[in-house]
Amino acid sequence: MRRIYDSQALKRDDDVFTPRERDDAPEPAAMRSVPGESLSRLLVPTWLRYRALTVTVETPESSYPAGTDVPVKVTLRNTFPFPISVRTRTPRLWTWHVDGAAEASRVPESLPDEERVYTFDRGERKQFLRRWTGLFKVSETEWEPADPGEYTLGAYIDVADADGKGLAAETTVRIEPE
Amino acid sequence: MTLLEINDLTVNFYTEDGVVTAVDDLSYRIESGETFGVVGESGAGKSVTALSLMRLIEDPGRIESGEILFKGEDLLEMSEAEIRSVRGNEIAMIFQDAQTALNPVYSVGEQISEAIRHHLNYSDAEARDRTIQLLDRVGIPDAESRYDDYPHEFSGGMQQRAVIAMALSCDPDLLIADEPTTALDVTTEAKILDQIQDLADEFDTAVQLITHDLGVVAKICERVMVMYAGRPVEKAPVEDLYYDPKHPYTVGLMSSIPRIGDERDRLQTIPGTMPDLVDVPPGCAFHPRCPYAEESCAQKQPPLVDPETGDAATAADDRAAACLEYTGDLEGELEFEVSVEGEDPLLEEGQDAR
Repeated sequence: MRRIYDSQALKRDDDVFTPRERDDAPEPAAMRSVPGESLSRLLVPTWLRYRALTVTVETPESSYPAGTDVPVKVTLRNTFPFPISVRTRTPRLWTWHVDGAAEASRVPESLPDEERVYTFDRGERKQFLRRWTGLFKVSETEWEPADPGEYTLGAYIDVADADGKGLAAETTVRIEPE
Repeated sequence: MTLLEINDLTVNFYTEDGVVTAVDDLSYRIESGETFGVVGESGAGKSVTALSLMRLIEDPGRIESGEILFKGEDLLEMSEAEIRSVRGNEIAMIFQDAQTALNPVYSVGEQISEAIRHHLNYSDAEARDRTIQLLDRVGIPDAESRYDDYPHEFSGGMQQRAVIAMALSCDPDLLIADEPTTALDVTTEAKILDQIQDLADEFDTAVQLITHDLGVVAKICERVMVMYAGRPVEKAPVEDLYYDPKHPYTVGLMSSIPRIGDERDRLQTIPGTMPDLVDVPPGCAFHPRCPYAEESCAQKQPPLVDPETGDAATAADDRAAACLEYTGDLEGELEFEVSVEGEDPLLEEGQDAR
């Protein structure tokens, strides 16, 4: 049974990053039947796969008053005209962070020690929207507001040394006192 | 006797969009022969909880932690062969959409008798006889001649009954009914619910009924758990839940039930929608929609506590709510009151909502 939330009927178009027309474009029909994951693994050297991918992080403004949500847009893109796949360290394929705290959480993470393959179609752009509420998670049940000041918002694909491989990006945002 | 006890169950889905915690630190228990309701909006984690009990969570989902004790044995520690002997035999499930649950290329009777042959070691003829009895018992007319019919030859209500017959075929101790009547019209729904209730009484089967219909809960459940964004927000015996709800979300759900004779122009709703589970609000996940929310609600996740004493609740507690009001962290008060109208309001509410 098709449910209302499976359709696009409830898709919001009033967030800060609209319009996003390219996201709605149909996927390229050519090469759809190509087993991109296997071909990428067999034919493309690992270093070149990392070169193919770019990561960008954006916020609509560079400063926000304390207590307001900071929208974060993360874009992962395969710049090459053929499919690319990379192996991640954990089942979590990518993540975002604030000053190194993944998903603004200072609670140590426990992720399964299990690799996964992250596949990008040719020229594919994946876009994710998150919002930082201006709080840091400090324990399993508690959050604390961030002090006014400058913070680094970043994102990376979860491979070893993502920064060195060019699979990470950062931007800064200022939290102004109220 | 406690049939099923779930302690601190957490289920994550590692999706491309992010890590979805579909069930977060969930604990509850079901006694033998009782009907336990699980209520919540779509996306609250009700179905994932049910699938976890059957160990049917598929990649990229993972049961991260917790234990599921069925008759004292942890289902999560069992081998695949052991869980297969439990699945369909001791724990059976009525799936949401009967048409999808039935295999279109096998006859309905064959699908039911397959489970009987597998689990109970019946011969072909014995399994056929038992299947015909079961189909007759769930109200399929002329069951013997319908045995060889394919699912597409059954109506929606008959398909649902066939799935119920399949679930009851091995006399399970626990029946998980995942929105068994969602796809059906109200008259068929009433019949099916009566049947589940009768059959559960007859076979002394415990039922975990998953629904978002509070009318259905009022009609057949004994205890209820309300879920929101993967976490339990309230657990209570059914009368307490209706006459004395403790969590603002439960109150919101109650006040959004349409009632016959109500003269309001618009139905009262809970503002907003269930949060995206990859981006759950900090603190109490319900706080952006809660009319009583304060600053502390965004900074502290309320534990599930006994609303009278404020002590941490365990799986064994019947009454629990997760709101900072009951841990003394809320400055204001939850200002809602419940008014009861009519002679038998619980029954009336059940009928109205459906």
